[in-house]
Amino acid sequence: MLMIAGVIVAVILFGIGLLGMIFRRDLIIKLLSLGLVNGSVMLCLVSLGSRANGIAPIIRGPENANYVNPLPQALVLSAIVINFAILALALVFVMLLVEHYHSTDSQRIEHEIKREREL
Amino acid sequence: MRYRRIGLIVYATILVCCFCGLVIAFFSYQEPTRELGAIYLSRAPSETGAANIVSAIYLNYRLYDTLFEILIFSVAVLGVRFYLSDYREKEIVEKIPESQIVRTSADLFFPPIFLIGIYLTLSGHLSPGGGFSGGVVAGTALLLCAVALGANTVGKRFHEPTLRWLEWGVLLVVLSLPLLPIVVGRLPFTALLPPGTMGKVISGGSIPIDNLLIGIRVFIGTWVIIHYFMRHRGEV
Amino acid sequence: MIVLLVLLSLLPVLAAFALSRRRRFTAIVGMGLFSLILSAVYLLLHAPDVAVTEAAINAALITFIYIIAIRKTGRLVVVSDEIPGLLYREGEQISGLEQEILSGFARQLGLELVIRFLPVEQVPTALHQGEADIGAGGIISEIDDNKVLKTQGYLPTALYHLSRQTKPHLKQEESAITGFFSDLREEFQAGKTQACTLDLARFVALSRSDLSPYTVRRLDGLFSYIFLIAPARERLHHQFVSYLGKLEEGGELEKLTRRYFS
Repeated sequence: MLMIAGVIVAVILFGIGLLGMIFRRDLIIKLLSLGLVNGSVMLCLVSLGSRANGIAPIIRGPENANYVNPLPQALVLSAIVINFAILALALVFVMLLVEHYHSTDSQRIEHEIKREREL
Repeated sequence: MRYRRIGLIVYATILVCCFCGLVIAFFSYQEPTRELGAIYLSRAPSETGAANIVSAIYLNYRLYDTLFEILIFSVAVLGVRFYLSDYREKEIVEKIPESQIVRTSADLFFPPIFLIGIYLTLSGHLSPGGGFSGGVVAGTALLLCAVALGANTVGKRFHEPTLRWLEWGVLLVVLSLPLLPIVVGRLPFTALLPPGTMGKVISGGSIPIDNLLIGIRVFIGTWVIIHYFMRHRGEV
Repeated sequence: MIVLLVLLSLLPVLAAFALSRRRRFTAIVGMGLFSLILSAVYLLLHAPDVAVTEAAINAALITFIYIIAIRKTGRLVVVSDEIPGLLYREGEQISGLEQEILSGFARQLGLELVIRFLPVEQVPTALHQGEADIGAGGIISEIDDNKVLKTQGYLPTALYHLSRQTKPHLKQEESAITGFFSDLREEFQAGKTQACTLDLARFVALSRSDLSPYTVRRLDGLFSYIFLIAPARERLHHQFVSYLGKLEEGGELEKLTRRYFS
């Protein structure tokens, strides 16, 4: 039950992120939507590994408790750090681009680049 | 032209909704890695000696992926440092004044946040935490100081060449530590230290050492990213 | 379980709200809140490691980096008088020919434009004291002030001298342009002004009221509107002069002038 709800919400978030990346012209909001798509995939992975009435995979006492699947959580941990690295570097490039063209509008930047290339 | 644009929007929205619906309908809601997870859960305490199974997985069974993840983080820090490296002394612009609340709270909160970061790093094998979250939390403590005092003021307190040597030296040690057991005559990657009894502070093989090194690397990397961002855009 | 379902259903609503905002700052703060709630969802899905890492990295660090990236690095303070057509308040907003020029310049520098209204004779004083960077508000190029830096003229204008047709042998009190322009306009409408010298924008604004008791005489000479820059801000002066030059070359200055002074 939790798994199904988690996966459905993750797919809906993926759709929202995708639509945000396509339809918003502001570069910063496109980057935010990229982070949202990343987060939705991570939510899907973690909720696939969860279990009803489970407990966190940290062994405290008795051996045969109902532990949640620990493997997706390990993958998601790496994914979060890699997501941060991607976003930080992409933001550096966006900052340099904005400082050069004085606008965060993606269509206007493309227009200026085309004009520069024609000159 | 406007109708065409609205039509494009509606078409794309319908397409994305159909995609989401297809994924939801034909998704197999089974745990794909259930048996593997059960194997890890049953074998981890005795083989690795760590209580936190997630830590045991990404620092023992799947150490290879974690090494490359550290490398990706280092490349991101390198990229930030390279592209934001030209610092021209800007004309004095009127700074937006900083409030007293931020300064006082930075005084008050810097030690506890830093301690929490160190605690998260060192107890990664016993409770949730680990090198990444501990390093980032400690970096957030420095971020609070930088917001209150100014990034250049905080940056002057570090000796830059030492920081750079420490950064890359720790990375080198993290990448070569898995190969060290070959010298001693055991299998590579994780057999450096014995597992020990589960639940004690000194247990878990080479997991605490890895956590500490990763924590230091991520802490310095986070500080470099914050410093270069704030320096490039002017003081906060 | 119920809390988890409530939070899970809150997530898409929050994401859609955050990504549909026009202001970038609101979108970034909304995504920071989204990351925080996502971290709580991870905790309720029995994944504490992931929850701590997600909260530390996504909610704290990434939000801060975005805010640093879009932040304006300072303020550009402009002092001016309120002149209809050039720089005036329209309800909540400020508009006018000079406002368009100044806001384009501020956007180019990455600074936030702050406009303060002062009486016109206090504008050079404010610039001398360093309280402001740029002085605006229909300043004629013939203003005699050696310390402030002047830009080139961006709009040619004319000076008009108004005098009331009273008995010509009586000495007329020349009221200089002091105080706010709105006070001068009230005096004018009340009929108290004897004589004054006005530039084109002020004259156009005053000509809405009754001008029949006044003789209008146009003064000879070529005048133009300029901006003033605070002394010792050479680099700002240089940047502004080149920005005005680029506006003139591109023809945008003409477009703006036509929009406000057609």
